[in-house]
Amino acid sequence: MTRRRRAGIVLAAAAALVAACSSNTAGSGGNATGGTSGTGTAAKVKVAFVYVGPVGDAGWTKKHDDGRKELEAALGDKIQTTFLESVPEGAESEATFERLAREGNKVIFATSFGYMDQMLAVAAKYPDVVFMHATGYKTSANMGTYFGAAEEARYLSGMAAGSATKSNKLGYVAAFPIPEVIRGINAFTLGAQKVNPNVTVDVVWTSTWFNPTTEKEAAQSLLNKGIDVIGQHQDTPGPGEAAEAAGAKWVGYNDDMSRFAPKAWLTAPMWDWGPLYIKTVQDVMAGTWKTGQYYGTMADGLVKLAPVAESVPADVRAAIEDTQKKIISGEFAPFTGPISKQDGSSAYAAGAKATLEELLKMDYFVKGVNGSASGKG
Amino acid sequence: MNLRIRLERRMHQRWWYSLLAPTSAIVAALCVGAVFLAVKGFDPVAVYRALFEASFTSLYGITDSLSVATPLIMTGLAAGIAFRMNLFNIGAEGQLYAGAIAGSWAGIALGKNLPPVLAVTAVLVLSVLGGMLFALPVAAFKAYLGTNEIITSLMLTFVGLYLMRFLIYGSTSFWRDPAVTNFPQGKKIANAAWLPLFGSYRTGWGLVLVVLVAFAVWALVKYTKVGYDMSVVGSSPAAARYAGIPSKRVVLGALLLSGGLGGLAGGVEVASRAHALDPNGLALGLGFSGIVVAALARYHPLGIIVVAVFLGGLRNAGAALQSMPGQRVPAEVSLMLQGAILLFAIGAEIFVRYRLHLVRRPAVTK
Repeated sequence: MTRRRRAGIVLAAAAALVAACSSNTAGSGGNATGGTSGTGTAAKVKVAFVYVGPVGDAGWTKKHDDGRKELEAALGDKIQTTFLESVPEGAESEATFERLAREGNKVIFATSFGYMDQMLAVAAKYPDVVFMHATGYKTSANMGTYFGAAEEARYLSGMAAGSATKSNKLGYVAAFPIPEVIRGINAFTLGAQKVNPNVTVDVVWTSTWFNPTTEKEAAQSLLNKGIDVIGQHQDTPGPGEAAEAAGAKWVGYNDDMSRFAPKAWLTAPMWDWGPLYIKTVQDVMAGTWKTGQYYGTMADGLVKLAPVAESVPADVRAAIEDTQKKIISGEFAPFTGPISKQDGSSAYAAGAKATLEELLKMDYFVKGVNGSASGKG
Repeated sequence: MNLRIRLERRMHQRWWYSLLAPTSAIVAALCVGAVFLAVKGFDPVAVYRALFEASFTSLYGITDSLSVATPLIMTGLAAGIAFRMNLFNIGAEGQLYAGAIAGSWAGIALGKNLPPVLAVTAVLVLSVLGGMLFALPVAAFKAYLGTNEIITSLMLTFVGLYLMRFLIYGSTSFWRDPAVTNFPQGKKIANAAWLPLFGSYRTGWGLVLVVLVAFAVWALVKYTKVGYDMSVVGSSPAAARYAGIPSKRVVLGALLLSGGLGGLAGGVEVASRAHALDPNGLALGLGFSGIVVAALARYHPLGIIVVAVFLGGLRNAGAALQSMPGQRVPAEVSLMLQGAILLFAIGAEIFVRYRLHLVRRPAVTK
């Protein structure tokens, strides 16, 4: 009996430890070097950031933290910033937001969708604190949202991908079947078709934002099918590592990730949150901040394209640069007809442009994408 | 040196051993944690003080700790009731998801047509049934086929996780809110089905409920024939057979009860905090943490309350440590401490049950 009991407890303990690790994906975490400067004179405006992942994720969270650092560099000792990483979404995050408000933060940024209701609840309790929520849709008098048109840069990255394929088969490691991801896949496909009308894009869903192993395996499953260029939506360089090992090409996301897979690297859509963070905090300090839904673009500088690899032919690189100029000037938008849906029906007639509202609700794939936009298979 | 350690079973465990074991485990874990913190360049005393202050010195801190402790009490009871019978249902995590699925169904489908008391009751009852249903394969296979319940309950946890994700992320199910297109989200349960909170604090009637359940479980194991049968079957199946106790039925019932308690944890989470089937917000490892709670409380239902409050505070302080002025302690530290506490608790368990002897071996002739 006792041996069995001990074995049981040890197994249970192992399971509990595994759970404890996996519930807080990816260990890295902060070092002794701080977000808080600690001196805390009364005049400083306190600004807090709540991240869903670790700042060492090399992607989404890292870019937000880069933005925080830009904010610190720009406003210097007028402000004091704090950041919390790997904060689980959902009910438990409410205590975190309230704690930050009670600790005297005047502006609180949260960078993941799953904080929405909790942030809204705390915002109602602290009308003097400005809350800014990335990727959400609920606002109040002191809570605004912010996000941006990554699809513009995804279209350009698709052009690089379309020129790099030899098999005419591209693959896309997709996160969740939601409009943000779907329009990214569509923009990537349209960009690829622009330079190479014969390409198809196979989609595989991971239901993750940050899981290097799962995402790498998903990329591998695409590579095994003879696909030779991989795109992605998650926040890790996992798919790039798989592409590098297979001698394939890769379009990353969020940041210049070329160091993870230098041979596979093509380019990536990137975020630059710094200017928005600086403007928001300046507006709050000046008393001119207003709530609303901010959707930044390439023209605003919120969305960027990482440097395009030398392996992309010079004429394609020139075409990408030219298209980027037209997107910034407003002359061109990625979702301009004629665009057909996956089933062959028409989404946009020649010359028709998708409205922002249509983009935000996009729930279908364009022609050339293989996979289900509702996430099956 | 030909020394070896011999374990001798203690015939009598003094009552204070059961307090000494978890206490020394916690102290030992904190000491190891302090060394780790010091090596990483933190001031352990300052960190522990901040941890304590964040969770236990203000009314907000205490109520937030209690709101984390609430599901831990339930999952602790779920693990404890089975573990004390040597039935290692480590699947409270999955049973919690199943309870949340069933409970949120009740909250959405039935909640709007019922008065508050009945609506909440519907969520809780359905969540218990959901947890039981999910534990049924574990219980039946264990009782009638002797299948290892550790494996089945662990594997079912993943089934539960992916089922919950599928219902929200992978399909347009009944649970998914069709009005939200940005990101797949669970439909909110009716307001009538919410377990009310105390004022503007985040703890409320859910805590009262789980404490009452803890007392009920305590009374069950201490004062009823069912509880007596359970302890006999747990400590000596042969004796139980001899005494004519239907062991298989008792094993089945105990694992179902354990599953039901795990399910209720999900129901309480949905009714008091999540208010929807939220695959991210429910998958916090609360079920697995319940194993730590139960082990540290040595499976005592009332001890589970105390331990859950302590670990709830530890967990609640995780975020606060990151915003400590001057030092940024990674949130993982509080999780690491929890893991260390469990390891030491298991170690201490051996000292409670056994006496250690150093024995000199006779020299081996070659």
